[in-house]
Amino acid sequence: MPRSFLTALAGILAALLIGAGVMLAQGYNPAATYAALFEFSLGDVDSLATTLKNAIPLILTGLSASVAFASGPVNLGQPGQLLFGALLATLGGLYLPLPAPLLIPSLLALAMLGGALWAGLAALLRRAFDMSEFIVTLMLNSIADLFTFWAITGPLADPDAFSPMTPAIQPAGWLPEWGEFSSALLVLALAAAGIWFVFQRWTAGYEWRLTGQNALFARLGGCNISRNFVAVMLTTGALAGLAGGLVVMAGPHRFLKGLGANYAWDGVMIAVVANNSLPGTLLYGLFFSALQTGALGMELITAVPSEFIQVLQAVIVLVVVASRGRLSEWLDVWAARRRARVKPLAPAPD
Amino acid sequence: MTVAQRPAAPSRATGLIELRHITKVFPPNTLALDDVSVTFQPGEIHALVGENGAGKSTLMKVLYGLEAATAGEVRLGGRPVRFRGPGDAIARGLGMVHQEILLVDEYTVWENVVLGAEPVAGPLGQLNTTLALRAVQAKIAAFGLDLDPAARAGDLSVAARQKVEILKLLYRDVSVLILDEPTAVLAPQEVPQLFAELRRLRAGGQTILFISHHLDEVLTLCDQVTVLRRGRHVATRAAAGLGKPELARLMVGRDVVFTSRRSPHPPGGVVFSADALTVRAPSAGGRAAGRERLRDVSLSVRAGEIVGVAGVEGNGQFELVGALMGLLPAAAGRVRVNGRDLTHASILERRRHLAFVAQDRGRMGASLAAPIRDNAIMTHHRLNPALTAWRGWLLRPAAVGRFVDELRERYAVTMRAAGAPFRSLSGGNQQKVILGRELLLDRPFILLDQPTRGLDVGSTEYVHDQILQLRARDRAVLLVSADLEELFRLADRIAVMHRGRIVADLPTDETTLAAVGYLMLEGRPAAG
Repeated sequence: MPRSFLTALAGILAALLIGAGVMLAQGYNPAATYAALFEFSLGDVDSLATTLKNAIPLILTGLSASVAFASGPVNLGQPGQLLFGALLATLGGLYLPLPAPLLIPSLLALAMLGGALWAGLAALLRRAFDMSEFIVTLMLNSIADLFTFWAITGPLADPDAFSPMTPAIQPAGWLPEWGEFSSALLVLALAAAGIWFVFQRWTAGYEWRLTGQNALFARLGGCNISRNFVAVMLTTGALAGLAGGLVVMAGPHRFLKGLGANYAWDGVMIAVVANNSLPGTLLYGLFFSALQTGALGMELITAVPSEFIQVLQAVIVLVVVASRGRLSEWLDVWAARRRARVKPLAPAPD
Repeated sequence: MTVAQRPAAPSRATGLIELRHITKVFPPNTLALDDVSVTFQPGEIHALVGENGAGKSTLMKVLYGLEAATAGEVRLGGRPVRFRGPGDAIARGLGMVHQEILLVDEYTVWENVVLGAEPVAGPLGQLNTTLALRAVQAKIAAFGLDLDPAARAGDLSVAARQKVEILKLLYRDVSVLILDEPTAVLAPQEVPQLFAELRRLRAGGQTILFISHHLDEVLTLCDQVTVLRRGRHVATRAAAGLGKPELARLMVGRDVVFTSRRSPHPPGGVVFSADALTVRAPSAGGRAAGRERLRDVSLSVRAGEIVGVAGVEGNGQFELVGALMGLLPAAAGRVRVNGRDLTHASILERRRHLAFVAQDRGRMGASLAAPIRDNAIMTHHRLNPALTAWRGWLLRPAAVGRFVDELRERYAVTMRAAGAPFRSLSGGNQQKVILGRELLLDRPFILLDQPTRGLDVGSTEYVHDQILQLRARDRAVLLVSADLEELFRLADRIAVMHRGRIVADLPTDETTLAAVGYLMLEGRPAAG
């Protein structure tokens, strides 16, 4: 953990330096730009609240991808699963006549169900026809995109709106605001804690992890590989679906066209940078959210366009992922040399 | 086939090969070579011996340019050289034969040999077959190798394929051959022939660096012996006058007992039985489908009995283990443990009745990246109720911790922390964790697939002790092994596999190493 933290920090610093170089080359002031970026993402309570809120879908889809990749299944269907989660939550919010204490949990459950169903479809195709979930989940994303677009322009369309969207869900389904902060953060915290519990304490979670690392070993040890595969797909689908539900329930309270357009892919990216680790996913989710949130403010007071943040994100991903192996190796060599000096007779492990 | 023993002068004599102060650090934190200096004289057969992890292979890989030394230098004929890869090494007259043999099965011997260095002619650079064939034939004749250049590589025995690998290097005019445990893949009968050929190569002016585990081989074949221990150079001696016990002591730093301690022990009732077991593995690639299957295999193991399965690798042992573990479906036949039919049972169900130690630790026996703790509780997490709560749904971290402690103490595992990655353990300790895990399951039947493969002498001894204890505790043990010495030490009976069949099932005391070796190779008893 301290090791991965160190390599991540080094990668991020290097990326920020490269970003500064890019800005200098274009005649911008990097110091002022980074200051604005910081100020508008973490500078005051208001910005912090926005950063945290924007981090929710990033982290949840990031967790979805992390859990899947760490357990073996290549679930790349977070965008579609997010959309189906949002769609089911919206449907429930429009038509379920329940008071808030019942409606909110119901909508959260519906959101998870929506994502799980969409991921479950891919799992089913894998089980029945041995179709690679890699391809299937990717293709289901497009179907989900078009299907939800049809739903919000057709049967669920708000007749009074000028762009494709559903009517607002009942206020009983809106997630309350606590001061500046959205209560969706609590849901996120619960979901993250749940995932930690599943991975570290649950017997099946243990099997997921070991299967992700060495499936043949896990199989010979008696783990039920195919059942675990389905369980992982459903769980990670539910996480992505929950992200979609929260976007609706905490934000515009309706299904808008283009909802969560980039969240899910950013989540996959976060899982990759975080090397599928849970704390890493949380931290990178917050960090990327801060960048994206600060970008708007940065654009206001500096001449740097907010698109620059996409460049910076890409540089961070590339630098961190490319450097961590080599950096870790250097640290190992350094540690080994030190040990060799201290204890010259230390046995070399086979 | 008789061949004129014309000494063929290698075109690039390298002169003295000096490795000076070589140090190699492998991340994480493994000091694989620690200031090793050795000199190899041209024209000698020089053995590199040492326990696993002693650094033999690493040293040779440094010499061959496969690994960059962290410190130190390589000198050829007094001049420092720096190889960036095997290509550089071959260009300077050094060649290495690895344990895995890499040939194109569909190609003939000569085609394999010239591949990558073909003599060409004509405006389009066509392969000049006549020239190529003649060049290969010339090399075969010059070094007196018993090889048919027109044979298809896929049809050759392992020994012949190994010879093709050597020929590939001779064709490239190397004068130094590095052989990484060349006898590991051979049947006992094939070893003397290899040695005879290596001696002929030496007579032809070749320098041979010979990595080995086996003391006998080293002492019969080699001129000089260099012993490495834990990455350090221990000694370089002339093989003549060096005794086996002394060499063993140099290798391990203490005396190793070579005698069997299998005491008389009357076996009980039948615990494990396989009846007419047949496995059809999907035939992959160009290999003959018949050799990849298991046909009508019947075996039984009684309580307190160790039954060995001998055979040249690839004669159905893999399929036998796969079928017993539920990795490969049985096309016919029955598998029973204590009368319970497990032929089509799930792996978890099988694990209620049998323990299993796989031959390939990193692939089947453990997850190298996972913490030691996670590796230690595999299978127990489902079948040992002490480790879980809530009807098996939740793991109990405290109980898991106690379990790992127990395993560490009972099986004398040296480890820093239960949370450290499994790969940070030495090979011997890895195997102790795996063995301990399986034995703590306390099953009536134990399937061991090459449980000492790649282990050093001390760890091998430990594993053998554990296996004999199982026998004393009336467990039924099926021991699949490529090491005949191991089988003769441990097994009460030896079943010999040949081309997917059991061709003999003999009490160990009534047979000989030579007889079993012949059965392994020929599939029938030696005549007379």
